[in-house]
Parts: sequence; C-alpha cells; structure tokens
Amino acid sequence: MLHLALRMAAHKLTALIAVACAVLGGAALLTGTGVLAESGLRSHVPPGRLGGADVVVAADQEFHPAGDLPIALPERATVPAGLVGRLAEVDGVTAAVGDVGFPAALVGPGDGRVLPAEDPGASGHGWSSTALLPKPRIEGHPPSGAGEVAVPASAGFRVGERVRVVTGDRPSAASGARKPSSSYLVSAVVDAPGAGVYFADGTARRLSGRAGGPRAGTVDLIGLRTAPGAADSVAAAVREQLAGTKLKVLTGPDRGTAVAPGVSAARSMLLLLAGSLAGILLMVIGFVTAGALSASIAGQRRDLALMRAVGATPRQIRRLAAFQASAIAVAAAVPGIVLGYLLAGRFSQVLADRAVLPRELPLTVSPLPTLATLVLMLAVVQVSARCAAWRTSRLPATEAVAESRSEPRTPSRARTLTGLLLIAVATASAVTPLFARTMLGATSASIAGIVAAIGLALSGPALVKSAGGAALRRMRPGASAPSRLAVAGLRAHALRFSGVISPLAMGIVFVLTYTLTQTTVLAATRQDVRAGTLAQYTLSAPRLGGVPAGTLPALRRLPGVKAAEPVTSTTAVWQYQVFGETTSEPASAMILPPGGAAGVLDLGVRDGDLARLKGATVAVSSAVAAARDAEPGGRVRLILGDGARVTARVVAVYDRGLGFGPLVLSRDLAAGHTTVAAAQSVLVRTDGSATAGDALAALAGERSGLVLSGAGAGAGAGADAGTGSGSGAGQQTPPEVWINLAVIVVLLAYLLLSIANKLVTATVQRRTEIAALRLVGTTPGQVRAMMRREAAMVAAMACGAGLVVSAVPLVLLGQGFLGRPWPAGPVWLLPVAVAVLTATSFVALELPTRRALRTPPAEALRAA
Amino acid sequence: MSALGRGFGRGGAVRAVEAVRPAVRVEGAPAGPAVALSQVSKVYGGGVRALDDVSLTVWPGAFVAVMGPSGSGKSTLMHCAAGLDTPTSGSVRIDGHEIAGLDETRRTELRRDRVGFVFQAYNLIPSLTIADNITLPLRLASRKPDREWVSALVERVGIAGCLDRRPAELSGGQQQRAAVVRALAARPAVVFADEPTGALDLHSARQVLQLLRGLVDEFGQTVVMVTHDPAAAAWAHHAVVMADGRVVEGLDAPTAASLADRLIALGGR
Repeated sequence: MLHLALRMAAHKLTALIAVACAVLGGAALLTGTGVLAESGLRSHVPPGRLGGADVVVAADQEFHPAGDLPIALPERATVPAGLVGRLAEVDGVTAAVGDVGFPAALVGPGDGRVLPAEDPGASGHGWSSTALLPKPRIEGHPPSGAGEVAVPASAGFRVGERVRVVTGDRPSAASGARKPSSSYLVSAVVDAPGAGVYFADGTARRLSGRAGGPRAGTVDLIGLRTAPGAADSVAAAVREQLAGTKLKVLTGPDRGTAVAPGVSAARSMLLLLAGSLAGILLMVIGFVTAGALSASIAGQRRDLALMRAVGATPRQIRRLAAFQASAIAVAAAVPGIVLGYLLAGRFSQVLADRAVLPRELPLTVSPLPTLATLVLMLAVVQVSARCAAWRTSRLPATEAVAESRSEPRTPSRARTLTGLLLIAVATASAVTPLFARTMLGATSASIAGIVAAIGLALSGPALVKSAGGAALRRMRPGASAPSRLAVAGLRAHALRFSGVISPLAMGIVFVLTYTLTQTTVLAATRQDVRAGTLAQYTLSAPRLGGVPAGTLPALRRLPGVKAAEPVTSTTAVWQYQVFGETTSEPASAMILPPGGAAGVLDLGVRDGDLARLKGATVAVSSAVAAARDAEPGGRVRLILGDGARVTARVVAVYDRGLGFGPLVLSRDLAAGHTTVAAAQSVLVRTDGSATAGDALAALAGERSGLVLSGAGAGAGAGADAGTGSGSGAGQQTPPEVWINLAVIVVLLAYLLLSIANKLVTATVQRRTEIAALRLVGTTPGQVRAMMRREAAMVAAMACGAGLVVSAVPLVLLGQGFLGRPWPAGPVWLLPVAVAVLTATSFVALELPTRRALRTPPAEALRAA
Repeated sequence: MSALGRGFGRGGAVRAVEAVRPAVRVEGAPAGPAVALSQVSKVYGGGVRALDDVSLTVWPGAFVAVMGPSGSGKSTLMHCAAGLDTPTSGSVRIDGHEIAGLDETRRTELRRDRVGFVFQAYNLIPSLTIADNITLPLRLASRKPDREWVSALVERVGIAGCLDRRPAELSGGQQQRAAVVRALAARPAVVFADEPTGALDLHSARQVLQLLRGLVDEFGQTVVMVTHDPAAAAWAHHAVVMADGRVVEGLDAPTAASLADRLIALGGR
C-alpha cells in the first residue's frame, strides 16, 4: 500500500516541492545548530604547547551541577606543586614538569609595539616547560638568572640579542615600582607550535606569583613525558594515585582542554548560542513544515476521500499521509543535513573572524546532529501530516467524497479556540519585560510574538472568513467584477488564504519582535552603560594579558586625572534556590576594588553601600536580587571562575544590571581565582581638560602594549569574560546582537521561501477555478486583476495582523526597558519588511496565475 | 405472484420486502441473506426523515434495483444498506454482520471485506494506474489479490489493455468497467452500484448494465443498484420503488415500461 502513497504524492509535484524545501531548510538549520551544540560540549582546542606531554594532570575546568550540563570555568585552577615530585616517581615517567603561565609580552625591535601572542595571559613559562613542547628545535642555551630569556622563533630575534619583555607583575611580587618592561638577553630561540617566552624556572615562579600570595605553592598543570608506549599505563597509575582529588588526568586530544582554560571555556558560548537558537528554530521550522504539509495534503484531499470510499480506514488515511510526508522528508533531509554541516563550518568561521570564538577551536563533526535532526524532523512531519489529514480521515466515507471537491465549510471550532487562547497566553506573557529587566525577560517579548503568530495561524481561517464576510457586506453594489470575485474568494477559501496570510503575518511579527527586542535591549544597555560610566577613558592592554600593575599609580599621578580604577570581568556560577531546588547559573561578574570604583562607575546603588565591598562580599543587580533572595546582608553561594566554592555577603543592590551585569565581586574575593592577576582594564575619569587627555595619551604611548580608548562599552556586562582576548574598548555591537540579526536574516529567507512556495501551491490548485471563470466569460485580464486584488488583500491582512500581534509585546518591552511605550530600533525596518512581504505575495500569485492562463480552459478542466 | 410482490399496497402498508431466493444457487454461497434491513429509519439533523421504517432483504445471487424520484430516500437506503452510514434506528445486517453501533473504522473494515461499490463518478484515484486502482481495496485490507480471479474479471470486462494507464486516459465506459472490476476484486457478498450509468452515454451504459447482469447470472454475484432510470432498472431481477422514505412497490422481472408507469403515477400522486 505504501508505494501507492508515494505514487499519489508524485502526482502533486508542486506541493511536494514546498514540503521538500521546508524540510531541507529545516534540516540544514537544525543540523547546523546541532553541530554548534555538540562542538560546544565536546570540541577541544589542539594540545599545542602541551603536544610533547604524553599525560597531562590539570584541575577540572568545568563545574558539574547535579543533573545538568557542565559549565565551563574560564579561570585557571591550579595543581599543588608538591605533586610534581610524586608523579615523577611513577613507573614509566621520564620527566615531570610543573608548568606555570603568566603574561609576558615581547616588544618588537622597531617601533616598540608589542608582538601578538596566542594566549597573552599565559605566554610566559619556566624553561622546564619546553620539555612539554612537541619536538621543539632549540637554538642556544637555557636562560639562567633573572636577566635571560628564551623566545619563540616566530618573534624574529636571534640568540644574543637583547629584547624588552613586559611582564604583568603580580602585586604580591612586592616590586610595584618595577619598570613596565625590562630588557633581557635572548639565550635561546625555541621553534615549536605554541611556543611562548621562557624564563629561568625561579624567575618564572616569581613572575607567575607562585613565590608567595594566594597561589603560592601551586602550578597550572603537570605535564608528564613517558617511556615509549607507556602513556596508557602511566595515565592509569596516575589516575589511581589521584583518585579522590578533583584533578583530571588527560591524554590524547583531551590535553587541549588544559592548554588555556579561557579559550576552552569560550566553546561553551557555542552551546549557549545553540540553546538560544533551538527554541525559535524549532518553532519556525515546525510552523513552516506543518504549513507546507497541510497545503500538500489539502491538494490530495479528493484522492484521500476516494480511498475512504473504497475501504480505507481513517487510520490508514492518516498513516498514508504520514508515510508519504516522511518519505519526502527523509529524501529532502539528506541534502539538508549535508548543507547543515557546511553551514555550521561557515558560521563558526564567521564567529572566529569576529573573535567571538577562539580560532583554534575545531568543530566536532559526528553523526549525532544528523540523528537528532532526523528524529526531530520526522516527529514534526509525522505529527503535522496526521493533523493535516485528520479532518478528511474522520469524515464518513459518503461525505468525504462529497466534500473533497470544495473546502471544508466551517473552520474547526477547536482550532479557532486554541489559536485565540495562544494569542491570549502570548499577550499575557509579554508583560514579563515590565518586571524582569534582563536579556531573558526581553527574550520573552520575541517569544510572545512568535507564539501569538502561531495562534494567529490557528485561528486564521475563522478570522479571515469573518473579515471577508464583513468586506463583502460593505462592498458597494457597483464594485468591479474582479474586486467582488476576489473578496468572495477570500471568504469562501478562508482556510487556503489564511494558510498564506498567517506565514506572511508571522514573517512581520518575527522580524519586528526579534529585531526590535535585540535593538531595544542594546539601546537600554547602552543607556545603562552611558549613565553609569563616569570615566571618559578606558585603558586596556589586550596583548599584555592585563594592565601591568605599575600603570595604576602612574595614572593617578597624572595631572587632571580625578580617578582611575581597575576593572576586570570574569565568570562565576551563581547557585540559588528555585522552588526548593538548587539552580546553577553562570553569570558574568565584574571585579571591582573596595568602594566599587565609585569614582569611575555609578552602578545606581539602590540599597546597601559599595564602600563595604571588601573581603568576601558581592553586589548584585536588582533585576535578580529579589528572585534569588540576595538582599543586602544576605549571603550568596558562588563558584568562582576557577571552580572555588565561596559564600559571600551581599553588601549592595544596584539598578544598572543591564549595563554592568548581574554580579560584582570584591577584589579580595576574586584574588587568586583569576588566571591573570592584573586588571583587564582601567577606567579613568579626568577633569575633562585637553591637558589631561594628552597626558593620558602620552602615558599610553610610552608604555608598550597599552591601548587608550573612550570609555563606555568597555566595562559592559556582555563582554565575553575570561576569553583573555581583551574585552577591551570600543563601541562595537556586542556579538550576540549581530548573531541574532544573522539568524533573523537566515530564518526570514527560509520563511519567505516557504511562503512563496505555499502561494504557488495554492494558486496551482486553483487551475480548475480559473478555467471555470474563463469559461463563463472572464477575460484573462480580469482573472489577473482578481488575483492581484487578492494579493493586495493578502498582503494588507498579513501586515495588519502582524502589526497588531507584535504591537503589544513591543510596547511592553519599550516601557519596561526604556520607560517609553515604543521600542528602539531602525525606523526603516517596518516599511522594508512590509515591502518585501508584499512583493513576495504579488510575485508568488502572479507567476502561477500567468501559467494557469496559458492552458486553454477546457483542457484545464478536463485534466482536473 | 412471488413473495416479493405479496401484500404491496399503496402507502406501504406492508413494509417487509423479500427479494426472492433466485433460481440460480451458487455452491458454497452462504445460506443467509446478503443484506437484511429491518425497520430502518434515518433522520438527519433538522428532522428530515430520509428513511421511514424500511425493511428489505436481499438474498445472495439477486440483482435488485432501487428506484424512486429524487428525494425518495433511495441514496440514503443504499448508504445505510452498504454500511457507509449508520441508521438512526433499526437493524442492518450485511452478510450476517450487524452494522448498527459499529464505529467508522469497524464499518470500513466490514465494508471492504464484504461490500463492493460502483459509483456514478467512477471514483477511480487519478494518480494511480487502473491496475493499482483495482487492487487498492485489497491492499487497504492487507489481503493478497486473487490473481486468477482478477485477471478473469479483467478479461470478462474487457479492459485488459488498459491496466497500465491512468483513469484520465480512459473513456467513461472503460473507467466504469474498471470500477466494476475493483468492486468485485475482493469477492464481496454484495455490490452496491449508485447510478452506475448516470454519467455514461447510451452505448456505454448498456455495456455496463449488461456486464452487471452477466456477473449476476454467471457468478451468482449479488448486486443492488440505485437508479432513477427505468431502462437501467429493467436489467434487474427485481425492482423496489421508493417514495418519501418508504418502499412502496416491489416488482419481479420489471420492464422499463411498467416501471416508468409506476414512477409517473408516483409523481402524479
């Protein structure tokens, strides 16, 4: 029986193309997202500078919440240095090296510019770490004493030359007055992938802050070299020794996770991205696929009814429809999935280009996304095909034949009610932004828009029917025949028209709510940052890994400088109770000195006092304070960026959480828990005079690696904490905004394609009607005029409905985030969206109409 | 006068109609009636009484024509008798199986095992070949087509050359003959034909009626045909005439002329 289903399907090719396109696009998008998600979970950067170590022992750079996905920790967690000696004695170990990393930037020979490094926060190491390099070619002799250094071959120095090196001195090194850079003698040149700057081991220990202070007596990781073939047995033995500790024993590609925790942590961004995309993708794909399928099955209604008449049970009809749809889906999904893998590759390339993602991070390509896509697409297709065939299948066989020639007379009540209910629920949920001034709260506005659009699609037939009826009643008796035909057709074919109007309306809703949500939040964030940033300048040092400690006092001594405060952002996992269960949520956190950098930032403290930001204390944003039971005097449980569990007292609640993030950590609390001790940036407030500005510029110019820029976005919350790539300066659009915009463009193209397909399908199915009209004397010109009027009505109704549906969430969003009842965003958005959708509906109706008119009417009727 | 005509009076005073046991008995044919309606009424929404307490028994091997003017209830009678629709009250047994109280799925299954249909509009599925159309009901029932039987039918009906074509490529007469083969392919207890000649020209109509009569005479197939055309009804062994939802006449070996008189009389009442 099933091959008959295929043969029946093959007969209705246009409708099939729509389904195939919907599935192909959907499969591509799902697979792409799946690849991103899987890479976010499983991708490792290559082992690079640890390539020569057979076994690596490092701390776990992930926090594992109970029953949830692990959260990547961006700050280096340390390993006790005493372990190095113990592991050296394990059988089969030929060398055990305790590796430490710290900022050490080489100043180029000519213009004094700092040479770029892969991981500026940890490019300096002790000489012993060269043993971990994969097959290094070393020229020269190991550095000895405090004045010698080995440099990577890529830097272009030769043995015996002098080189200036900027080392981000730890304050604990008790040498605050050190010059910002020192001159060293190049004792060796090291040529190996991932090679850094190598100091004598003692110097390295001191520069990395291991000689004293919170990280004394630790190393970043321990690399082991083993006798040939002994790697596995050594790994097993080491695992046994370390059982019970939280240390990880890594071999093979896993070693990559230990190279740079900040870089590895950035991959979790992929997971977040995929997660935030998945919801909207599934909704749009489900909507588009279901729409295409219902159009295809509507075209086969007569065949299905005939099958009922000759003895097919309702279940058989539904099964047949579902099988047919699944067969097409599988066929279309295959190229879609291939496309999806390519898409993911392209997308991650773009992310890497925009420095959102570390370039070294490869994508994980496995069959899992294929599997997930197939399962999801098949589920969508099966459910929508069965739903679409439901009505025809349930009709008594006698009626099935009688009805199949025309449309179902009344749109189902249950369907209409469900649709209206969805619209009501969506509108109700759109008030969220009034209460939650967070990205999550804002997202509910766009979700509300989409849900309402789906509600619109469900209640569409009833709405279109009543709208068409009203229009027909109001129409002047003298209206032209094409107008009358168009309006009558609208009312009579409410189901078919709403099948076209609702995706168009959804397109409008989608573009408006999704884009304007992004731009509104962006505007509100900028407003927060602008209002809360008193400083005029940001000084950062992306190539140095952090602003060297000596910079701050120098800044404060400059004439005209009123205040200069270090600001660093990191990530902390916030644990709080929701309905009695512990939730762990990663949050970007700003590390501020005591007083909360009041001279350069105004966080809008509503309660408590930032002056008490000392010791184990935090300040929290008012957007989350109440929900997480974090009022002043209360305590919060945090897991810091290196995995350390701490409990901190809340000393203040501030209002500008949108601009500055949900959490502020005291410097004391974060000390020793960041990879780099030095501040990521220093915010500077001057008296505003040109002299002060010039003095600042001069200071930044004479100290290598410092970058001076206008303050503003620099301290912003969205800055990807801990990637070490410098969340520096500039008014750049945050990555999530343009990622979202890119997603909108892709999804809109997908929606438009499906809408055009659907319009074409619907028009092709009307050949008989067009032929009948012509036989009774309608001229081709009149038919075209009728179709154009239909297109105009379709576009007008779609835009009207789309505007109405998106208005409520957007008004509430504007009120909640900007304090005015309209959102922020480009004014051209609405006219352009309306124009594109109108053009789509005109073209998609005009072309098949012209084609239908080319067939002689009598022939068209016979073929039908 | 046979049992069929006995007791017929104006206004249907006697409502039980027995279509006679035919002269030709087929070996192995079931002993009970092919279709038995007993006191069947059908009331549609709005109170329209389409069938009013109708009883009718069709014995295996009979060719019965149901006649009547438009709106007399003959189509409703057929829908109820064939299990396409359920009666409001009364009992309908097809090949000994009660259909009252069965849901749509169970009735469908009963229909495709025991009932064949020939429709006025042929109702062949346009996207399938004639061969696929013929075996479709069997496939739907997951039964293997009896190849010999089907090819014998195809030969008998004279559409052997059209099996690989699609319905649109055939003439109306050919399509209807294919529909007859489809109706018979599952060896049903009874075939219902709803105005089978309604869409055909005189010559093709004659061929189809000849075919139906031949199938009854040669294979002992039971056929119930609904028609408003006395000339078509004259091919049947028996005719029942309906008016206002009741059976008002029963005739053996009807002729076109006698049937036309009855109908005209009914129309003039």
